[in-house]
Amino acid sequence: MMASKKCVAMILAGGQGSRLGVLTKTVAKPAVPFGGKYRIIDFPLSNCVHSGIDTVGVLTQYQPLELNTYIGNGNPWDLDRSMGGAYVLPPYQSGATGEWYKGTANAIYQNIAFMDGFNPENVLILSGDHIYKMHYGKMLKAHIEANAAVTIAVMPVPWEEASRFGIMCTNEDGQITEFVEKPANPTSNLASMGVYIFKYDVLKKYLTDDERDPNSANDFGKNIIPKMLADGQKMLAYRFEGYWKDVGTIYSLWEANMDLIDDPPKFDLNDRKWIIYSRNYALMPHYIGNNAKVRRSTVAEGCQIEGTVDHSVIFSGVKIGKGTVVKDSVIMPGAVIGDDVTIEKSVIGANSVIGNGAKLGVSPESDDNKYKSDYCTHGIVLVGEAAKVDDYADIPKCSMIEG
Amino acid sequence: MRNDTMGIILTGDEKIAPFTNIRANSALPIAGRYRIIDFVLSNMANSGIVNIGIATESNYSSLMDHTKSGKPWDLDRKDYGLQILPPNIENEKYGVIRGNIDLLAGIRTFIHRSTQTYVILSLGNMIYNIDFDDVVKKHIENQSDITMIYRDVTGMSDDNLSRHTLIELDDDKRVRDIEVQPYYPKTTNVSLELFVMEKALLESIIDECSSRGDVDFVKDAIIKKMGGMRIFGYEYNGHFYKIDSLTSYYQTNMQFLRADRREELFNRERPIYTKTKDQSPTKYGDAAECINSFISDGCVIEGTVINSILSRGVKVEKGAVVRNSVIMQDSVIEEDVEISHVVFDKEVVITKGRKLIGQESHPLPASKGTLI
Repeated sequence: MMASKKCVAMILAGGQGSRLGVLTKTVAKPAVPFGGKYRIIDFPLSNCVHSGIDTVGVLTQYQPLELNTYIGNGNPWDLDRSMGGAYVLPPYQSGATGEWYKGTANAIYQNIAFMDGFNPENVLILSGDHIYKMHYGKMLKAHIEANAAVTIAVMPVPWEEASRFGIMCTNEDGQITEFVEKPANPTSNLASMGVYIFKYDVLKKYLTDDERDPNSANDFGKNIIPKMLADGQKMLAYRFEGYWKDVGTIYSLWEANMDLIDDPPKFDLNDRKWIIYSRNYALMPHYIGNNAKVRRSTVAEGCQIEGTVDHSVIFSGVKIGKGTVVKDSVIMPGAVIGDDVTIEKSVIGANSVIGNGAKLGVSPESDDNKYKSDYCTHGIVLVGEAAKVDDYADIPKCSMIEG
Repeated sequence: MRNDTMGIILTGDEKIAPFTNIRANSALPIAGRYRIIDFVLSNMANSGIVNIGIATESNYSSLMDHTKSGKPWDLDRKDYGLQILPPNIENEKYGVIRGNIDLLAGIRTFIHRSTQTYVILSLGNMIYNIDFDDVVKKHIENQSDITMIYRDVTGMSDDNLSRHTLIELDDDKRVRDIEVQPYYPKTTNVSLELFVMEKALLESIIDECSSRGDVDFVKDAIIKKMGGMRIFGYEYNGHFYKIDSLTSYYQTNMQFLRADRREELFNRERPIYTKTKDQSPTKYGDAAECINSFISDGCVIEGTVINSILSRGVKVEKGAVVRNSVIMQDSVIEEDVEISHVVFDKEVVITKGRKLIGQESHPLPASKGTLI
């Protein structure tokens, strides 16, 4: 057996992220591109490495192929280790039956044998679909010092939004006294970030008990945490101050990208002390052409910009033609935007092709728009991965185009 | 896939002051995010060569820091992989390094232990994108003793030709004469200083030259032995750039502003790999003006950048104007600075309001960490 680990991380990366519409048609939400050159899962993975956590299980289920390939042996995050490292953990068959991960708690339960292999004192449970920079090591220290059974990261949210989250009430020592999932009338504004550190023996016991309960939804927020609270376990709330975003909808994904180009940015990726690692591809520097105009935007490597880019996030390998204007938009890797195109407030999927003279997000939204989608709120246009938009097409606001 | 071939890269001895005072010339940054050695190394890796040794003369720490385990080139292998071979200075037999034969003699054990049949030897400080697989194939077909890769540069000025090793060929492309940097060039076939031969031949050349006190691979070994060997030329049709002076360094960088040259060198079929730094994408501010420029990740551009090449992490503050310049990693051009035709090494800082103007023929260099 390996020497025991103080803390092993388990990242729940199996969710579909159905509210992201066509963006998650072929990839799981953690694999969705974000911030010009990253994917969402880069954030928890980089946080782990910077926090001194070197053993990370990534639990995949929905559309796992791209995510599995992306993580590979973990090398881009410095997680190809001899003692530990990154492991992709899909559901598997055992004995006569095999089963899918039924809920967040069940997913971890099914990987008890994996965790046992590292003999950990504590287990950090993370979600693979949040954007934030967090030092889990500091949280682990607080957890150990308080001798808590579980420590839950919480952050204050605006009161009017509190009913969207799992809300905690705490006493003066920061111990959790009450936990309510999505309360109609919240009595606190401390929201759970879905970041938990459990004592491993406690976690194992509760997961095993939960599995025996046929009425359980096998979910941390709905079942495990309320049960522990009812049993009087010592539960600590760890306050996190800083940027944290669940990019669960097209609008929040767009908004989180826009946060990066605020001045100063709401969330700074150009932070050499907390580098967000990602798998890098062999791309040359980007080229800005003779007639180009790029302002208040980020541009990644491999791009070729001949048009105007204003207040937008341009991912790696994107081509933008002459006479084209891209405004308030997110253009994902490898998209090819033709000449004389106008794109406003849009999310353009990877490797899509936008024909010359097309207009996206310019014409007002209308009810007879055949591309109209409820996923696209706030007037956003979403173009799926590898989709093709014809020359001179006029795509009104609130449209979704499949790839 | 050439698992029958090994690669040996000698870092050339051209000095490009002040940049090579602190690093091997093959470790010199180029085209924004690359180093000169990335090109030959990627070409070898793309041809399936997995045993590559880099023999260094001095200042090899920057090179070691750049290549590390060889991972970016997929050369961190259990068998073979990428090896930096520092000079064998303790060995009394070789002592001071007088020429490339001494360097090769210093890595004689590495060559001897390698099990590949063929070797590609790179002596120059050049960038190009060559399919070495095809070169070795032709070498075997021709039953050559040595294959020299060349390019016909008809139209190049005599001055420029004189910087190179030139080869005269007969109709069968057999090499008839070789001249190293001749004053009056007789031909326009420029050697890319790349040689393919059997490993056993290279070993015997090293041994013979060493025992006679010969020091130069081309002048002492190839030229003297030309009569008795089948030496053929392999014509490369792409562009190549020799970096042997500040001006050639500057002009080579400027080639990357041309779409055709970029597409040729950064060929999708044969990518150029380099060490990654995980920099965030480059950020343009509200007042940024940037045209005709080649920009790496991690830059922050608030001012004006025209006809320039920026490495990773360069800052151009508000009101600053950068024209026709090559700026290496993490340099800072503060507010209202005006620079034109300059070549800045890493971490150069030009403080507020200064003005530095070089000329196209004589770009103005600044060494690493200069504060003006």
